Amino acid sequence: MASPNVSSQAYSLTVLAPIVSERISDLVNYLDNVGSGDASPLSKVGSTHFARWVVMDAPVFEGGRQRRDSWSAPRLLFTSNFDGELDPYIERLRVGLGECADKVWGNCLDYPGHEQPAAFAGWIKRNQIDSSLFYAAYGGMAVEDVLRSLEIRHQLTEFAIAHQGDPPDDLKAAFLSEFQP
Amino acid sequence: MKFCLCMSNVEGKATAITVMSPIWPGARHLLRALFAIARHPVGKRGQGKLETLSFIHYARWAVISEFPNGDRGEKLKYSYLFFESNFNGTWDEYIDAFSEVVPVRMWAIWFTSFGFPGPQPVAPFKRYIRKNEYIANHYWSAYPEAATTEVNSAGRVAEAVTALRRKAEGMDRESFKKAYDEMLMSIQHDF
Repeated sequence: MASPNVSSQAYSLTVLAPIVSERISDLVNYLDNVGSGDASPLSKVGSTHFARWVVMDAPVFEGGRQRRDSWSAPRLLFTSNFDGELDPYIERLRVGLGECADKVWGNCLDYPGHEQPAAFAGWIKRNQIDSSLFYAAYGGMAVEDVLRSLEIRHQLTEFAIAHQGDPPDDLKAAFLSEFQP
Repeated sequence: MKFCLCMSNVEGKATAITVMSPIWPGARHLLRALFAIARHPVGKRGQGKLETLSFIHYARWAVISEFPNGDRGEKLKYSYLFFESNFNGTWDEYIDAFSEVVPVRMWAIWFTSFGFPGPQPVAPFKRYIRKNEYIANHYWSAYPEAATTEVNSAGRVAEAVTALRRKAEGMDRESFKKAYDEMLMSIQHDF
C-alpha cells in the first residue's frame, strides 16, 4: 500500500522536535531574521516546493469539556513538500542547510549536528510524523518541471506576440530556434 | 502566545496555514478511519472537490497521539488534528472558500475537535481557526510568484510546446503553421 506521505512523486515530510525550553527565544530570533526568498537557507535544498519552520510553544485550550493540557517541551515543526524519496532528501537537507541546520535544530533535544550524516538522518526520522492524508495539486511535477513550464509559458507568450502574422517559413525557423529541445 | 508577525506566513503569492487542534478522547480512531477511506481509490474520488479549490498547492492532515522522539516520545493527554496548507490568495478568502465549497467535509474532519463551531456561518469558524493556528516563523516557496492555476496551465503549455517541437522538424512549413495555430487554440485558456 502506498505511503500516506506520498502523492504521485511528491512527499510530505513532517518533523516535530522538542525544543530545549531555555533556547526558545534564540531559536525564534534566528528564524524570524533568517533571509527570505533566494536568501532563505531552504533555497539551497533542491527539490523543495514549499517548506516552513513553526515554533509551537503550547497547546491550544478551548475550554468547555477540554481540560488544560501541557507539553513537556515546546515543539519545532518543520514541514516540506518535496520530490522523490525521503532518504536522499534528508541528505540534501543536511548538505543544503549546512550550519543553518545546526542553528535551527541545535536548539532541539538530542540533535546530533549536520556533520554526522547517519545520526542527522536518524534524528530527523525519529521525530517524523506520518501524514494521514496528503493532497498535491500537481504531484506529478517536480520543482524543475514547474520552473521549466513557467518559463516555457512566458517564452511562448512573448513568441506568439512577436511572431503574429509571420509567413510560415519564418515562423517555423523562429520556433525551432526559440524552443530548443 | 504566538511569536511572530503574520507576514512570515506569506511568500510572494503563497500563504501558509498551520493548525493543530485538540480532539475528543478516542476520536483519533474515527479520524484515522476517515482518512484511510479518503486515501482509498474510491475515497480519493472525493478529493476532486479539493481540486475545485484551485488555489491549493499542497495540503496535509495528520492525527497525532504522541510526539515522536524514538523511545523518548511523549504520550499526550489529548490527540491533535494537524493541518497545513500552502495556497495562493488571502487567509480570509481561503477560509471563506472552504466554508462555502466543502462544508460537509470540513465538518467531517473537524467535528471531533474541541470548540469546533462548524464551517457555517463563517465568522465563528474563522475565529476558531485563528485560535488554533500557529504562525510560521519561516516560510519558503520555490516559485512564490506562481499561483496553483498558473502552475497547472504552464504544465499544459509546456506539454503542447514540447509535443510540437518534437514533430516540427519533419513538417513542411504549411503543416507547421497549421499545427502551430491549432496548438495556440488548444491552450488559449492557459495564457
